[in-house]
Amino acid sequence: MSHEKLTLEEREALRQQTLVKHYTANILTHWFNAFSWLLLLPTGFAILLGKAYPFVPQAWNDLVRNVFGGLAPLIKWHAIWGQIWLFVLVFNVLFGFRKYFIPFAATRMWMDKDDWRWLMIRPLQMFGLMKDKPLPPQDAYNGGQKLYSYLVLIGTFFIGVTGMIMTYSELIPTSLQWLIQWSMPIHFIAVGGVFAGVIIHVYMGAIMPEERQAFFSMFSGKVNGLYAYLHHRKWYERKMAEQAAWEDHYQRQLTAAEAAGGESPAAPEPAPTGGDR
Amino acid sequence: MAEKKRYAFVIDPARCIDCRACLVACRAEWNTPPGQTRIWVHSDGPRGTFPNLTQTYVPAQCHHCADPWCVEACPTGATFKREEDGLVLIDEEACIGCGLCVNACPYQARFRNVQTGKADKCSACFHRLAAGEQPACVATCIGGARMFGDLNDPESTVSKAIAGRAVYRPITDEVNTQPMTLYLTPPDASAVQVNPTRRDPVPAETFWHTIGLPVVKLAIAATFAGQAAAFIIQLLKGENEYEDA
Ligand code: HEM
Ligand code: SF4
Ligand code: SF4
Repeated sequence: MSHEKLTLEEREALRQQTLVKHYTANILTHWFNAFSWLLLLPTGFAILLGKAYPFVPQAWNDLVRNVFGGLAPLIKWHAIWGQIWLFVLVFNVLFGFRKYFIPFAATRMWMDKDDWRWLMIRPLQMFGLMKDKPLPPQDAYNGGQKLYSYLVLIGTFFIGVTGMIMTYSELIPTSLQWLIQWSMPIHFIAVGGVFAGVIIHVYMGAIMPEERQAFFSMFSGKVNGLYAYLHHRKWYERKMAEQAAWEDHYQRQLTAAEAAGGESPAAPEPAPTGGDR
Repeated sequence: MAEKKRYAFVIDPARCIDCRACLVACRAEWNTPPGQTRIWVHSDGPRGTFPNLTQTYVPAQCHHCADPWCVEACPTGATFKREEDGLVLIDEEACIGCGLCVNACPYQARFRNVQTGKADKCSACFHRLAAGEQPACVATCIGGARMFGDLNDPESTVSKAIAGRAVYRPITDEVNTQPMTLYLTPPDASAVQVNPTRRDPVPAETFWHTIGLPVVKLAIAATFAGQAAAFIIQLLKGENEYEDA
């Protein structure tokens, strides 16, 4: 998508590079989360009665309820999987807080001017407009992905809290019944909001050809240099600088070790590396 | 049992002496927590001037309405109307105790059970009916004020009790849930105690209907339409095999 034309040689050289975009732990968390949504969304929609709250057709209620053997078992399964989902996410965030969550949030959540400009141009380009307008350079995540992570994080928080309230509603005294009453629409709106985002997310992540590298990176963790350069220039340049600094450091240690008498160098201090940052 | 049943209570206040044996029987049957009850005997006090005083006692419970507002309010269907006999029942395992149904019932026939945290109300002792018995309150009513049975069966106690009698249904111009309790007393005597009152929906419920549902529908429809359009454009344009990284 760049408009400073790269030469063919530059393109080929970039293609040969490999950059780590995602840590394995984050990849696993992502697919666990996606799988959970696949289970929770259709079951959740089947709990909400289409007759009284016209959102899904009554036929969907009937079908899913029959599959699970009735409303009560359906609610039970939805709540059990919901709690497993929550537990895994909270567990991963807590134990991976320093090494995974902070790097993830740091590059995913800070919106700068380029991100907002990206947001104004990219959606129009998807519909064939403003084709020649250059996109501002992006960090590891573009403006759209950053907004989306707010949606997912905030949405997940509200879905989790309200889900727990409804699951353990019998522990809530009647004087606090408004908590249960408000949990239902908030749960619904948070799910609906994230789901609306997921629709865009899945199209851009899995279907759109320009983002094919991003899709495969959600399995392999890696992207090639050309994709990184074209789509995430700021990130690409930062990574290259980091790598150069590390190599420089390593070289100096090698030289020092040779001067000291041919001993192999001690393992060098690792420079910051890895994906999601 | 090809034909559907149409269960109803028939209540004759003239026969009620306010002994409240029915309340005791109901509590024994359902183990309702102290301070909560599924059935009532209402009264609005003595009328007339001494020594010509009268007082009417009006037994009441959930009316298992034909058009139950409680069922309409329940988000999940945990409260439902049973097809085969019209009883309005609660699936306790599915109930999350939100109380929307409690608020929706214009007869205040429901409450949230303080022990179970679930919605609770008269269930017409459906398990006793299945065993061919009468509901506990009806079986225990010594005056015969409480009657229960199938209106579709001309031989049932209730059909016979109302035959040729004026019956009073506790409805108003504003509220008609088609209650399935028929009172064998002229309206003036019992109107006060059993007439329904409509209550406003709780704020969360209003919010859900007026904002939550439309906003979520719109958001999902809009993003879906947008991505579908983008996909169609992609199909028309094809892919750039060499250009795309
Ligand atoms: C089957 C459906 C899904 C597919 C194909 C998919 C695909 C992807 C891809 C390709 C990325 C990497 C983007 C990049 O690195 O540029 C990604 C990241 C992400 N996805 Fe999904 N996703 C799916 C479902 C979901 C769901 C249901 C959620 C949340 C509710 C979700 C939340 C996220 C988040 C928060 C990220 C950011 C993490 C990251 O980019 O490292 N995804 N997804
Ligand atoms: S009396 Fe109230 S609780 Fe009973 S069926 Fe009618 S609306 Fe529902
Ligand atoms: S309290 Fe239970 S039965 Fe009543 S509306 Fe809520 S979920 Fe339905």
